[in-house]
Amino acid sequence: MKKFIDERSTRSVPLVVILLLGIPLQGATAESLASGADAIFAKDARNVPALNISIAVFDPGVPTDQSLHRDLEVIPRIREIEAMFLPFVLRETLARTNEWGAVRVVPEPDISAELLLSGTIVRSDGEILELEIRAVDASGRVWLDKTFAGVATDSYAQHDDESGVPGYQMLYDQIAEDLLLARAGSNNESLEDIADISLLRYASQLAPSAFSHYLNETADGTFLLDRLPAENDPMLGRIERIRAVEYVITDAVDTKFQELNAEIASTYDLWRQYRRKFVEYRMQDAEWAQETKPDAPRGSYESIKSLYDNYRWHRISAQVRDNLAVAFDNEVGPTVEAMEVRIAELEGWVDQQYAEWNRLLEELFEIETG
Amino acid sequence: MLLCLSIAACSAQPVINDEMMHIEGAMPADLSGSWQRNYLRGDEVNAVLYRAYYQLGRSSRDLRYARSRDTSPASSKDMASVLALARLADLITRPDVLTISQTEYELSVAREDDYAIFCAFYDGLAKATDSDYGTELCGWDGSHLVSHLVLPDGLEVIHRFTVSEDGDELRVVTTVSSSASPVPFTLQRFYTKFERLPGEFNCIETLSMKRVCSTGEIVP
Repeated sequence: MKKFIDERSTRSVPLVVILLLGIPLQGATAESLASGADAIFAKDARNVPALNISIAVFDPGVPTDQSLHRDLEVIPRIREIEAMFLPFVLRETLARTNEWGAVRVVPEPDISAELLLSGTIVRSDGEILELEIRAVDASGRVWLDKTFAGVATDSYAQHDDESGVPGYQMLYDQIAEDLLLARAGSNNESLEDIADISLLRYASQLAPSAFSHYLNETADGTFLLDRLPAENDPMLGRIERIRAVEYVITDAVDTKFQELNAEIASTYDLWRQYRRKFVEYRMQDAEWAQETKPDAPRGSYESIKSLYDNYRWHRISAQVRDNLAVAFDNEVGPTVEAMEVRIAELEGWVDQQYAEWNRLLEELFEIETG
Repeated sequence: MLLCLSIAACSAQPVINDEMMHIEGAMPADLSGSWQRNYLRGDEVNAVLYRAYYQLGRSSRDLRYARSRDTSPASSKDMASVLALARLADLITRPDVLTISQTEYELSVAREDDYAIFCAFYDGLAKATDSDYGTELCGWDGSHLVSHLVLPDGLEVIHRFTVSEDGDELRVVTTVSSSASPVPFTLQRFYTKFERLPGEFNCIETLSMKRVCSTGEIVP
């Protein structure tokens, strides 16, 4: 089987393209991401092809029914920020394993990604983080579809004994391990096929006339490689060059997520600790309320004031928690908004170019095939 | 005949019925703004308490008369329970300033040293705030906002907010009742609308730096 020229990293993008397009060269490559990182996972003994991973911004998991938000303690704005912030932590974890190609956070799921990870925040209350993670490769095969839950350790006060790392790191490590386990079930040839299918799915989106017949889509929605284009196919060369340009943009977007992470990580950690404390206080309050039933006679001032005070404190603490959410948004909101604007600009540029590339490639194909 | 004294016991009707829980479109009245207590108007706690004692004594006499023609006064236990309600009602209605914020779906009454009464009407239906400590529900009785808090041991607090036609005055009628007391206790408070002066500083709350203030625009 022919091996495509694989643009594993932005290094292979011709510098002239980058300069002509005025794109900042700040993309992170697999090597640069992984360099110096501690490999904490058992290595795959095989020399496996390093698939690129795209992690889509998570689904915030905010119920559409507003009336449920308070009951479930879901603060939509915070969830939106977490949906952008948490994928980056997973990206860092995966990059550190040195087992993958480029690991990128992308604003929207990319169906032609070699391996696409998408997630939904099921629960995030400072104490427990629950993520529903789905990993699907370019052929449509599901690698992972599972809910992961982690209990927080305090990054300042207490480190988890097993992992020696703060926060919910064990949860991310578990996802990374499960992905490696899923990969272990595939031989090198099928992993190489995934990379080929990924490129051909990308190509058939851009130039359907030229590339749609190389893949077979089965009834269950998976893609099988039917045949491969010729090694010197000029259209494929163009597709690879375009994809390389798009990778540069994707890496620029990924860098924005990296910047967001750097800017808000400490504030998020504070927020998480506050929320965690609230959960603890609430449990203590409940115990206290149970244990300290007033001895005062029923109907006496002491008795009814105690009942009112219990409710009052419960509500005040919930309101303080809401105020903290506002304070968190006050602090990180401008950073998030600026990042959203920049990502929208980059995405807009790609969308615009995409339409243009699509038109040009279709015209070229028609000219070349007569 | 025994006087109907307790709101909860008076009728089978709930304080907030189904009709009151539904609103169509916007909320029936705009209560938003800052409200300052008007001490010239409203109830004086002791006066209301005396009236309650009198009422209690009378109802007690009526009952006893009907039963045995005994005209002994109300029991000290009943009086103590009414006094307890009066003290709690006085405590609850003590805040000088109410700050009411109102959106299409939500209404919040912020009070000094107390929790903010919160009313939510998502999709036009009142949503209760429920916990192990109590249940809070709001409803609209015409243009009157009614907040009903049900606490353990049969303790209930009802606030009824009415804004004047010109929108400058707010009347809040607070009723505290308990299954341990034969009569509820009701206090009426009046508030006048006022405009808060713009502060000298612009302030925002942040997590890492707490309150941040500036004379100009704040960029966190």
